[in-house]
Amino acid sequence: MHKYKKFVALLIVSLMVFGSLSACGSGSKGTTEANTDAAETDQETTSGEATGVTSEKITLTTVSMMGGTDPNTERYQEVIDAFMEKYPNVTVEDSSQMSDQTWKAKVAAQFSVGDEPDVIQFFTDNNASEVLAADQFVTIDEIREVYPEYAAAIVDNAWKASANPDGVNRAVPTTGFWEGLFCNKDLFDKYELALPTDWDSFITAVKTFKENGIIPIAVSLNEVPHYWIEHLMLSAAGGEEFTSVPETAPESWIKGLEILKELYEMGAFPEDSQTITNDAAGELFKTKQAAMQLDGSWYAGGIDDQENTVVVAFPVVEGGQKGPNDIIGGLSSGFYITKKAWDDPLKRAAAVEFVMMNTSPEQIAIYWNGNGMATVELEAPADMTPLGLAGLELGNAATGTFAPTDARLIGEAYSSITTSTVDLVNGTKTAEEILNNALQINMDSQE
Amino acid sequence: MPRILNNKKPISVGRLIIYIVLAIWSVTTIYPFIWVIINSFKSSNEVVRNSFSLPEAFTWENFTNAFSNQNILRSYKNSLIISGSVTIVVMILATMIAFALTRYQFRLKTALLALLSASLMIPVFSTIIPVYKMISQLGWISTYQAVILPQIAGNISFASIVMMGFLRGLPLEMEEAAYMEGAGVTKVFTRIIVPLCRPSLATVAIFCFLWSYNDLFTQKILISRERMFPISNLLEHISSKYGTDYGLMAASVTLIVIPVLIVYIFLQKNIVKGLTAGAIKG
Amino acid sequence: MLYKKKTPLIAFLLPGFAMLLIFLYVPFVDNINNSFYNMKGFIELQKFIGLSNYKEMLQDAKLHTSLINSLKMMGLTVVFQVGIALLLAILVSNIKRGQQFFRTVYFFPIVISATAIGLLFNLFYNYKGGALNQLLQTFGKEPVNWMAATTAFVMIIIPTIWSYVGFYFVIILTGLFDISDEIYEAASIDGCTKAQAVIRITLPLLRGVLCTCITLAVTGALKVFDLPWVIAPQGAPGGITHFMGTYMYQIAFVNLNVDYGAAIAVAIVVLGVIVSLVINKILKPDANL
Repeated sequence: MHKYKKFVALLIVSLMVFGSLSACGSGSKGTTEANTDAAETDQETTSGEATGVTSEKITLTTVSMMGGTDPNTERYQEVIDAFMEKYPNVTVEDSSQMSDQTWKAKVAAQFSVGDEPDVIQFFTDNNASEVLAADQFVTIDEIREVYPEYAAAIVDNAWKASANPDGVNRAVPTTGFWEGLFCNKDLFDKYELALPTDWDSFITAVKTFKENGIIPIAVSLNEVPHYWIEHLMLSAAGGEEFTSVPETAPESWIKGLEILKELYEMGAFPEDSQTITNDAAGELFKTKQAAMQLDGSWYAGGIDDQENTVVVAFPVVEGGQKGPNDIIGGLSSGFYITKKAWDDPLKRAAAVEFVMMNTSPEQIAIYWNGNGMATVELEAPADMTPLGLAGLELGNAATGTFAPTDARLIGEAYSSITTSTVDLVNGTKTAEEILNNALQINMDSQE
Repeated sequence: MPRILNNKKPISVGRLIIYIVLAIWSVTTIYPFIWVIINSFKSSNEVVRNSFSLPEAFTWENFTNAFSNQNILRSYKNSLIISGSVTIVVMILATMIAFALTRYQFRLKTALLALLSASLMIPVFSTIIPVYKMISQLGWISTYQAVILPQIAGNISFASIVMMGFLRGLPLEMEEAAYMEGAGVTKVFTRIIVPLCRPSLATVAIFCFLWSYNDLFTQKILISRERMFPISNLLEHISSKYGTDYGLMAASVTLIVIPVLIVYIFLQKNIVKGLTAGAIKG
Repeated sequence: MLYKKKTPLIAFLLPGFAMLLIFLYVPFVDNINNSFYNMKGFIELQKFIGLSNYKEMLQDAKLHTSLINSLKMMGLTVVFQVGIALLLAILVSNIKRGQQFFRTVYFFPIVISATAIGLLFNLFYNYKGGALNQLLQTFGKEPVNWMAATTAFVMIIIPTIWSYVGFYFVIILTGLFDISDEIYEAASIDGCTKAQAVIRITLPLLRGVLCTCITLAVTGALKVFDLPWVIAPQGAPGGITHFMGTYMYQIAFVNLNVDYGAAIAVAIVVLGVIVSLVINKILKPDANL
């Protein structure tokens, strides 16, 4: 029967496909075994002396957060290409992706099953708590015992800021970020408003814009209320109390969050702030339908109008303790080397060299490009836009730079605050409840 | 083609109403599709401003953006291999299960049925991490089988249940006749049931393929190496995440959808052929 | 029943169920186990907490909302998705010309991934400049916040139901083709009208297929995720548009409360099994055999 033959043919084809696939699978396993064999015979070139990169054929697996449309993606790929050109026997297998929830979960899973890469550019704060728990990284001190010049150009402040929650440095930071209040200056000029550097001007601006049909603040309370939560808390509490992790929520934190509710009731946010996506909110700001947006240094590059947009430090709320030029920012990521790579005599030097290529002052200058904070002493690039300069000024004028809350609270605790924002503005939950709940979750996880 | 009643009159009012109703629904199904294609030729701003008219400034840039990543052909290949394998294996296994569960009576039957229904319910989020652990221990992360195997498991219950539905509608006479004449069960299965089921097989196969093709979540978690990315991964990777590039998004959707449509339109013809051949029963 | 020897039976069942066992059942048992512990991250079990996740479910208001929404969705999908699909299938099987056109065209929404459809509808529902509001403004009316608390649920249901009608349509249509013409011809000779033929012949003979469709629709409603999440992430506004599927994802992957998410997954499966057993009892799909 004609149809029957077709069916059998399909069956055979699929079996062949399957067969060849499993052959592929076992093929790659074969090479890894060859590698480990070579490693055993090559014991002479092991630790103790700083050796050059091996001339054996190896594969270096790397991961970074510079993927997708991150402006640094291309630059990172260029480093990879240059590295492979310099060492033709090394194949760099890179799986970089922009960081999101799914990706973070995946990385954590990789580490806990022993599938970690050799080099990874990842978070250094509590965002990396699960990954750090797997304890698969070598520390900077250990590396420096063998390679004393490792990451020598990084300034002390940068080391302090990028230490892991247990105080130990394992990652080499390249760039940091700041957060600030982006303002459409042309809208402010149009209504003859002063930039919101203090609370009075801020509230005046909000009211005036509202009256004139401009959305005062673009934000997605549902998706990304994070910056508002943190800045209001910092503004009310001041740096010291903001960066503490107490057992119960301090008055200042509660007061800060309550202001969010007041702003909501004042109509400072878009009509659909509870459902609008973060991207759409950004569109409102970029198309001049909204006057202000609280975001970070990574956001600056995507704003089309670089001439009429500025960024200022978040103002101090009434009775708040923050210094006028204190900002939220910091260093929260860097290049790690895993123990897997370090203990492999063939890979060690290659991994070190790879990180050093990515963290040389020249490369950091390329990654930094004037945006955010640099971890080595650098001069500003010559051709910065007004917005870029405003950002640089923000960073330079900062009297204090404080890490955001997700650096101190574990993921589950912090997300319990951000996912309760809508409840907060609706009055279904109080600021006190939300904060105390989060702190409780955080404490429970420490046991 | 089946007709409920032979109607030799030219277009009656009843007929006309039927056509109108059908046409209305088809507008709702065609329009979004056309919308996506038209908008893939616009810049993102234009899409947001005015998504419903023809492009003012017709541009290919969204597509060149997508294609500039030369791996797009390779991703199509990956998708084809993955989704193709999943479909074929699922169809074979599911038809076997469906046959067994509709033509046999045995003690464990209700239990197995319940198990099958239960597996339909299991959300992929709850099993993905243990599956990831397993695949990782086998060293299969970023291989084809990493995605194929879980997807097969995920689809078998659905395909089995649908095939059971069809098999229940098949009258037993022909099987009985063949069986009485001494044909073994396997013969009955392969020579009678399977050919008779062709329209159902094709139908379920399409859904299986589509589901596997569009399943971004599993693919994202189990495949990290870019050269193994199936097309949905690749295009999501490319789509702008800094702000929204709706033009690029529309182009990506178009690129994902077109191959599948082509496959479907071809398969359609086969279904019709199968129908007219299979309709000659007895 | 028909076949006497039982040995081939095992051969038919084994491979499929083996796959299910390894890649679905075993991981799910793992998941069930997780729900009895407090977890740190995705893999580490920290502390045994017994049934406390399940007790929490009894008091979780957002979970109750999700449950009710899911139940509503189930009802709506049966009535509208399967209902409209049934209607369309019967109509299409009735016409001579254009059958292939309609069959192809009704399938389109399924080919487009749910995420893409969600994005499409986002552009419709956007408050500032969304297509619907643009339309309103050309008629001089005020823009409407379509995703406001009162209307959000409906706005999510519409695309979710619409996008899957084609799926059931194709399944039912294929089932319709299995009904041989002779039965209809015999009936018409006996003086049966079209409407009567539908009620007395078509529907009963479709019993198996309809039961399948309803089961799938209901269980699909329980698991639905992509569309609602893209249109209303995290159950916006304020978690009132959560369904069981989206709520579980939020708890496990956004709130990172993995153990509670595991408990919700167990609840989803239990609920689904109960519902599908009930459906099977009511519809008796094996009655024809």
